[in-house]
Amino acid sequence: MIIKKRYLCWCIALLIATLWTGAFAQNHPYKESDLISVLQSDAAKGDKAITCKRLAIYGTEKSVPALAPLLSDKELASWARIALEAIPGTSADTALRNALGNLQGRLLVGVINSIAVRRDVGAVDTLLQKLDDVNASVASAAAVALGHIGGEKAAKALTKSLANAPVGVRSAVAEGCILCAERFLAHNRTAEAVKLYDTVRKADVPDQRHLEAIRGAILARQSAGLLLLIEQLRSEDKKRLGIGLRTARELPGRNVTEALAVELNRLNPDRRSLLLLALADRSDSAVLPIVQKTAQSGPKELRITAINILIRLGDVSCVPVLLEAATEDDAELKQAAMETLVRLPGKDVEADILARLPQAKGKLQQVLIELAGQRQINKALPAVVLSLHNNDAEIRGAAVRTISIIGQDQQTPDLVKMLENTQNSSERAGIRKALLAISGRCGAKCIPHLKPLTQSRDNELHMIGLHALAIVGGSDALAAVKSAIENAEPPVQDEAVRILSNWPYNWPQDSEAGQALLMLVTSAKKMPHHVLGLRGYLQYIRGNKKLSNERKVAKIKDMLSHIKRPEEKKQAIAVLGEAPSASALELLTTLAEDPAVVEEAYSAMVRIAGKDISGVSRDQRREVLQTVAEKSRNDGTRQRARKTLSKLR
Amino acid sequence: MCKERMGLNRRRFLKTAVQAGVCLSVPQFIPGTALGKSGSVAPSERIRLGAIGIGNRGRYVLGCFLREPDLRCVAVCDVRGDNRRRAKDQVDTINGDKQCATYIDMRDLLARDDIDAVLIATGPNWHVTAATMAAKAGKDVYCEKPCTKNIAQSLTLADVFRRTARVFQAGTQRRSLPNFAYAIELARTGKLGKLQTLHAHPGGLGTKMSGWVAPEPEPPREKVDWDMYLGPAAWRPYTRKLMNAFHFEKGGGLVGGGCLEWGSHCVDLCQLANDADDTAPVEYEPVNGQLHARYANGVKLIMRNDGWLPLGSCPVRFEGETGWVETGDDAEFGASSQSLLLRRGTKIPGYPADFHVRDFLDCVKTRALTRANADAACWAHIACHAANIALFLNRKVKYDPKKNEFIGDEQANRLRSEALREPWRI
Repeated sequence: MIIKKRYLCWCIALLIATLWTGAFAQNHPYKESDLISVLQSDAAKGDKAITCKRLAIYGTEKSVPALAPLLSDKELASWARIALEAIPGTSADTALRNALGNLQGRLLVGVINSIAVRRDVGAVDTLLQKLDDVNASVASAAAVALGHIGGEKAAKALTKSLANAPVGVRSAVAEGCILCAERFLAHNRTAEAVKLYDTVRKADVPDQRHLEAIRGAILARQSAGLLLLIEQLRSEDKKRLGIGLRTARELPGRNVTEALAVELNRLNPDRRSLLLLALADRSDSAVLPIVQKTAQSGPKELRITAINILIRLGDVSCVPVLLEAATEDDAELKQAAMETLVRLPGKDVEADILARLPQAKGKLQQVLIELAGQRQINKALPAVVLSLHNNDAEIRGAAVRTISIIGQDQQTPDLVKMLENTQNSSERAGIRKALLAISGRCGAKCIPHLKPLTQSRDNELHMIGLHALAIVGGSDALAAVKSAIENAEPPVQDEAVRILSNWPYNWPQDSEAGQALLMLVTSAKKMPHHVLGLRGYLQYIRGNKKLSNERKVAKIKDMLSHIKRPEEKKQAIAVLGEAPSASALELLTTLAEDPAVVEEAYSAMVRIAGKDISGVSRDQRREVLQTVAEKSRNDGTRQRARKTLSKLR
Repeated sequence: MCKERMGLNRRRFLKTAVQAGVCLSVPQFIPGTALGKSGSVAPSERIRLGAIGIGNRGRYVLGCFLREPDLRCVAVCDVRGDNRRRAKDQVDTINGDKQCATYIDMRDLLARDDIDAVLIATGPNWHVTAATMAAKAGKDVYCEKPCTKNIAQSLTLADVFRRTARVFQAGTQRRSLPNFAYAIELARTGKLGKLQTLHAHPGGLGTKMSGWVAPEPEPPREKVDWDMYLGPAAWRPYTRKLMNAFHFEKGGGLVGGGCLEWGSHCVDLCQLANDADDTAPVEYEPVNGQLHARYANGVKLIMRNDGWLPLGSCPVRFEGETGWVETGDDAEFGASSQSLLLRRGTKIPGYPADFHVRDFLDCVKTRALTRANADAACWAHIACHAANIALFLNRKVKYDPKKNEFIGDEQANRLRSEALREPWRI
């Protein structure tokens, strides 16, 4: 019994050990000792390099002694630092610190940079010494590293160095000061940060460092930085203006917004738009009234800037100002206001527009109707439909445009009636567009309302009716179009044939269209009708997914005696090229005898011969390809034939 | 690793400014007099550009810059002689003279006081180092993506551009294209209902460690400056195979994979759709060839290669409680309802960078945040790097975007940064 228990415990222990080892192996695909051995061996440098990368992920402090010597190897130093920067613990810090005393030039710079990344406070004293290094790259790296590490000691040394460092190092010292200042700020030591920023502002350093210090000085001071900010906005220097515009976006506070609003009116006109854009990025609710006011009056360009800003800042309170601008005579202002009104967010904006619509007159009414369409305010439909009867043609036009967007089948009778009552061509064009749009949206429900148009003696109305019905599709629509082909009026006939030849709707449900097109091919009295019928029929064959490839080819073969012109032959060849089969290949070979279409036929033959088709042997495919490769005059086709042939061999 | 930031309400500024970027179909109207883009522009009003790293992609973006009337390119820089010559020809042809200067070492270009802005289109290995050097030299920066090689660099990028107050635009130009912006607007304005899941297609998910290839004889410096080519990357001998800057050291220590190459676009768009330009997902998990991430607000981010509608490369899909929208580089849409697409606006396929370049130049003048500013780029890249780390370690990782560390995962934490080769620093 005891033996059994011991055996069981041993099994459980073994299982746990196995599982643990498995998990460890999954997370640690390399044994650290093996990796260290590689570094300490005579392995190739490439192998040592990759080993360093692995140690960056899987190494511990145990690896540091093997990595440290590589810091003086020009080719492997950067690889070693990849590992040393990543390995946690003081050993890596110590190794890097020790290297400071042994290295020079670029290798020393690299080590300093790694110390900066690790923010090793213990290295500060040595780095302070390096600030005075005769090598400008070393001194600069030390300055920036001290900035990254931060603290009073670093700040003091950097401030001192700013005054007397060589010109080539001063920029880096200033960068170090600014980094130090940021670290002070992060620890709420604002006064020390401000002092550092101000020191850099006054120092003889590159202008970019000045700009960074100005930005820091403004933002660190918070509201008290406002004066410095305004100073930049007024500066003749473009770069300082730039810092002013950037900090105008960043410096928080209502008082800042208010002061900038005052400044907006003081600046010269060129700068006002720039400041307005900056204000708009402040995300302060006090900005909206300022922008609204600017949108209302003043120089046109500034107004347009303000109107555009309202797209993202505006709300329902902006609607009156924007409507006013949208009804002005200036086209640019009007366009900007309309764009904003269309995009202004909020359902309350739609409610506002809806509430204004019934009372509106003239230009305002027109604008509101347009907006109802653009914003798709369905509840506005009754008021918009009423406007179809307005005396003002512009308002009627706007109503028709809006109905074309949001109208339903119920509006079709109104539009048909309106169509019947106007002779104005542009008005008819607008109504036609609306009828087609609604027909597309609402489908068969429109047919009863559209049919009267096909009875009209006015050919134009008849044709509009046919087009709208064609969009709906189905047997009723097809019957109307077929009937129109027999119409006494040639323009109606022609239009009906055109519509039928382009019958793109509801394939293949409207298969009867194929029969009607075939009738045109075989018995049309006019040549154009025959051609259009043929084209439509070929399109029908091509698009009909219910037809097998063999049946498609058979139908074209039946048609062959009617296909006389190269244009239609090319269309037939295109269909054959998409119906890979033995019969298609055979028919294409026949068509290739016509010099007018030989290249199209060859191209299609290559396409088919490239595929493994039942009933066509590899030898036959090769023969076809060989013929094309030899006879085609088209470089591309010849090349494709040869390429396909080579794959078959 | 936890970065101590200045006590400034950056998020507030970022939110408002980015909102401006989302309203794309109506560009901000800024007077021509302020921007100097109306009609002919006086030479003194033109932005003076230097272009760094001008291979194929660089010359394409440079072409977008050169089309802008208020810009003059005055210098180009590349470690490769053939690239320098081609870029100079391109610039001189537009300028109508032979004055475009050429440099091998970008430090010489950055030292010029008469250059306002730089285009950085080197390989990803150099991007963040060059960008931060340029900012410290007082230049505004348009930088190709992926902009950073790891999480620490992403944070430093944001810090440096905040500190220097320079304008930064990541080359994630899809932020400036109407179809992507429209899809994002649908997601952000609640048109899809409460946002549930975002899908991104960083084609070719997967990672591997970067290596050291067998050496070849090093060409003369005039032809290839290998030391400058390596730049901040750990040293290795010259090999022509590594000269494809486009792929060299992409993704930092975790070279390869779509996380950075494509994710910096499509994950970035998901970030914007989720109003997450100042954060990143908090969980990342490889699941059956996909990468599933989750934001703190509960929204899921799925990075996957398959199952996309045929809408072109770099597709994204945003799903809410009541609807979904999908779009890609063809600028077409798929949506749960056609009514969602009524105001989709202009179709601009082929992901041109012109609009993005224009946004950058406008911001150079207004000092506003660009659409793909350094903070937005920082967080989008962090999301990509964290995903890459989860894929590399092949396990779920949890990330704390406030502390910028992986929770209880030392290996993942060690992958957040990597030492730069001497003498480079950021």
